[in-house]
Amino acid sequence: MSEQQPLSQPLQTEEPLLNDQEMQFWLDKAVAWGQADSPDTQKDTCLHMSRLRDFLHQLLTQVNSMSSTTETMKRLPFLGQLLGRLCWNPYITVCDTSRGLLLGCLWGLYSERPSNAVEKKANQWIRKVLCQLSTEEDETAAQALMKCTGVPAKEYHLKVLRKKVALLQENVGQSCTLFNSQRCSCDRIVDISKACIPIVTCPEASSLISLLLQRPVACVTEALSEDFLNALTSAYSRQGLALEEQALVSLWYHSFYSLEEAVLSLLQSVITTGLTPQKLEQQVAQSLLPKACAQHCSIFLVVNDIFRSILKQAEGNESVKTLVQTFTKCFLRELALLKPQTSISVKAFFPQSPSSLLVPLLTMPSEMPQGAWRNHLNWLSSSLQRLTEEEEEGDGRSTRGHHNVFEAWFLLVQCAHWVQVAVQLLVTSGTEDGDPFLWLLIFYHYPTKRWHHRASQLARAKEAWNHIRTLFSGAAHPLPSDRLQSLGTLVSPQPEQQSFAPSLTVSLLVNVAVFCQLPPSGSAEVLQAVRKTVSLLSFSDYCSIQFLLNAKLSMHNA
Amino acid sequence: MEAVLKNLASTVEMLAVAAQSDALNHWDKQTLSRAFHWARYCEHVFSKFHNNAAIRRIMEKQLQLTNQTLRDTIPGYTEVSFSDLPRCQHLLLVRLLNNPELPSSLMKILFDTTRPVKTMHGDYEDVTGLCSHIVQCKSVYKVLSPLADMSALGADAEVQGEMLMERLEALLNQGSETCRAEQFLGSVLQGCEGALQQFCLVIAAALLTSKNCTAQTAAHDFLLDWLQKKHSLLQYMCSLLSPTLLKDLAKEHQKLRDASCNVLKKWASEMEYSLSDGEWVLTSTGPGVSFKKLTELFLALFDASPSLRGDVEKELNALKISDGDFDVTGLSVWGDLLSALNM
Repeated sequence: MSEQQPLSQPLQTEEPLLNDQEMQFWLDKAVAWGQADSPDTQKDTCLHMSRLRDFLHQLLTQVNSMSSTTETMKRLPFLGQLLGRLCWNPYITVCDTSRGLLLGCLWGLYSERPSNAVEKKANQWIRKVLCQLSTEEDETAAQALMKCTGVPAKEYHLKVLRKKVALLQENVGQSCTLFNSQRCSCDRIVDISKACIPIVTCPEASSLISLLLQRPVACVTEALSEDFLNALTSAYSRQGLALEEQALVSLWYHSFYSLEEAVLSLLQSVITTGLTPQKLEQQVAQSLLPKACAQHCSIFLVVNDIFRSILKQAEGNESVKTLVQTFTKCFLRELALLKPQTSISVKAFFPQSPSSLLVPLLTMPSEMPQGAWRNHLNWLSSSLQRLTEEEEEGDGRSTRGHHNVFEAWFLLVQCAHWVQVAVQLLVTSGTEDGDPFLWLLIFYHYPTKRWHHRASQLARAKEAWNHIRTLFSGAAHPLPSDRLQSLGTLVSPQPEQQSFAPSLTVSLLVNVAVFCQLPPSGSAEVLQAVRKTVSLLSFSDYCSIQFLLNAKLSMHNA
Repeated sequence: MEAVLKNLASTVEMLAVAAQSDALNHWDKQTLSRAFHWARYCEHVFSKFHNNAAIRRIMEKQLQLTNQTLRDTIPGYTEVSFSDLPRCQHLLLVRLLNNPELPSSLMKILFDTTRPVKTMHGDYEDVTGLCSHIVQCKSVYKVLSPLADMSALGADAEVQGEMLMERLEALLNQGSETCRAEQFLGSVLQGCEGALQQFCLVIAAALLTSKNCTAQTAAHDFLLDWLQKKHSLLQYMCSLLSPTLLKDLAKEHQKLRDASCNVLKKWASEMEYSLSDGEWVLTSTGPGVSFKKLTELFLALFDASPSLRGDVEKELNALKISDGDFDVTGLSVWGDLLSALNM
C-alpha cells in the first residue's frame, strides 16, 4: 500500500487544473451577470466570453475524466450552481460553442445508472433545467395567447425575434438626425452594433447586421463599434458567417483589420497552390476585392499598400508580381463597369505613381495598333531609364529618388502586360535594336540593384539573349547536344555565380518558341531546355509557363 | 376520413404515452422522429379542416371518445382538445421532456448544438437539435430586447396583437359564430390574469394592426364592442396608455375615441380638489390618473380628432356653468379643466 502512495502523488499535483479560485471567480461573475441586465453587464460578458469558453472546456475535460457524478460533486461542489446560472444567461446560450460546452458539462453530470440519492437528484435537476430552458414561458400573456390561438411556442418565438429585428432595422435605416440636445442618433446605432457582437453568427441577425454595415456614413460619429467589426471579421475568416457581397465590401470599408485579413488570405490561397493564369484571375475576381476597390478608392489604396510592403520584402517573387498584375487587371475591369456612375479620375487610384507614366502604362496593348507597340515601349523604357538615372544622380542616400523609382517599378508590376509585350518584341526583333526591351526586362526583374549591378545584369542578359538567338536562328536543326547543354548552363546555377533570372531566361525561351518561326523540332528543343530549368522555378511560374507553352504549341501545330 | 380519424386517435394515444408511460424508455431516434412526424400531421389536419364546421364536429367527437378511453385507463390524464391540435408538436415536446423515462440519448439528440441540416432520417424528418434551436432563438431575442426600437408597444405585444387578430378574424369568418369569438376573447383575458397590463398592450396592438381589409375591420369592430362592454377593463386601459398611443388608437377607431372620452369625463367628475396637494385628485379606488395626465389624454384625443375639441368644449362649458361659472381654481373641476386645456 505504501508503495502505491508515491505513484499517486504526481496525479494529485496535476489535479489543480481547475482550482477553487477560478471556480469562485466564474461563480461570482455568473451571479453578477444574472443580477443586472445593463449595457455594462453585456459588455463585461462579451469581454469574458473567450476566457469563459476556455474555462468551460477545461471543466468539461475534468468532468469527463471523473468516474462518477458523486466524485464530480465532491471535487467540484459549486459546479451545479455555476452551470445552473450560466444556463439562464442568454449571451452564453446564444453561441453554439458555449452552449455546446455548457450542455456537455451537464451531460457529464448525468448518470445513466444513478447509484445513490445524490446522483438521482442530479439527474432530476438536469432534466428540469433542460425542460425549462426549452419549454418554459416566463410571460403569462404570451402563454395564454399561444394556447388560445394555437400558435406553437417555436413559431411564436421566431415571430417575436423577427419582429424585433425588423423594428431595429427601421431604427438603423433612419438617417442620422441631430436632436435638440445636439446628440446624434448614431449613438443608438453603436449600441445596436455592440449588442450584435454575441450574435454575429446567428442567421436571424444577418439582415440586421447587413443593414448596419451598409448604412450610409453620414456624420463624424463612428457608428459601428470596433469590437463588432472585429467579431465579424474573425467569424467570417472562420467561415462561420455568410455575408452578402455588398455587406462584405462595407465590412472591408469600415475595418482595416478585416480588409487586411482578406488580402492576406487571397495571397495565401494563390501563392501556395500553383494556378494557371485563368484560374488565378478567377480566384482574384471571386475574392470580391477588385470590386470593392472599384467602389471605394480607399480600399484600393490600402490593398496596394499591402502589396507594396510584400514586394519590398520579396521583389523577386514572381507569384506575387503576377498576382499584383492580375489584381490590377481585374480592378480596372470592375472600374470600367462602374465608370458611368463614378467621376473619380484614375489618378485618384494611383496617387503615388509618376503621373507621366500612368496613362501610358495603364493603356492595354489591345487598345493600340500592334505597329505602335515598338515606339510605345521604346518611350516607356527611356522614361524609366531617365527616372533611374535621376535617382542615381542624386546622393546615394536620397529617399525621394528611391521612392520615385520604386513607385515607377510598382506601376510597371501592376501593368506587366507591357513587360510581356517587351519579351515578345525582343524575340521577334531580328536585327533591330532590342536593347530598350532588354533594359525594361531587367528593370522588371531587378528594380532596386544599384546601377552598376544593373549594368552588369544588362550585360549578362544581352549575352544570354545573344546565345539563345544564335542557337535558334542558325540553320542547323536538330541542335547538337553540346549547344543544348550550353543553354542548360545558362540557367542552371554555377557554384560561383548566382543563377541569372531563370524566369527571365525561360520567358525568353518560351517566347522564342511561340513567336519565332521555328520548325516543330525547334520548338521541341526549346521545350526540353525549358524543362531543364524547371527545378529553378517556383511551381506557379512553371505552371503558367507550361500552360502558355502548351496553348501556343497546340495553336502552332493545328 | 376514416383513416384521418384513426390517425388522430393514434396520435393522441401516442401523446399519452409520451406524457406518462415508461414505454418511453424503449424509444429510439426513429421512434422519436416518427412521433414528431405524426404530431406534424395533426397540425396539418387542423389547418386544413378547422374552418369546416361539419368535419370539425366529427373530429371533436373522435377526440372526445379517445380522451374518454384514455381518461379511464390512465390516472391524471391531460386531455387533448381539437384546439390543441395546431400546437401538437409543442405538446409532444413538453410531454417528452417532462417524462423522466425519456432516454438521455434522445435528450442529447434534441439538444444537439451542431447546426441541424434538415435531413430525412429514414422516412421522417430529423429532429436533431430541435430544442437547441429553440433555446438559441429565445436567447437571440433576449440579447436584442433591451435595445430601444421604433415601437411604442414592444415587439412581443405587437406579435401577440397580430396573433389575436388573426384568430379573431378566422373565428368571425366562420359565419355567425360570434359566441366562439366571445369565448376566445374571454379565455385570453382569463389566461392573462395577473398580467392585465400586458393584456391591455396586446389589445392596443391588435387595434393598431393595419391590413386594410374587410375581415380586419369586422374583427376590429367586434373587439371594440367587446371592450366597451368591459367597463373596468376599458378604464384600466385608458389609465395605462401613453397620450401618443391613445392618439394613434383614437385616430383609427372612432368608437374607442368616444368611449375613452367618456372614461375621461367620468374621471373628471369623480375628482376632488385636495388643498394639501393644490391639485385635483381621484379619490375612488381602481385605475385612475392624475389631473395632469387627464389633460394630456384629452389633448391627445383632440389631436386625433379636431372636431371632438369643439364638442367637448361645449360640454365642459355647460358643466362649468352648472357649477356656478366661477373662474377660480379649485372650485369646479370643469373650469380648471377648461383652462388647462386652453379653451
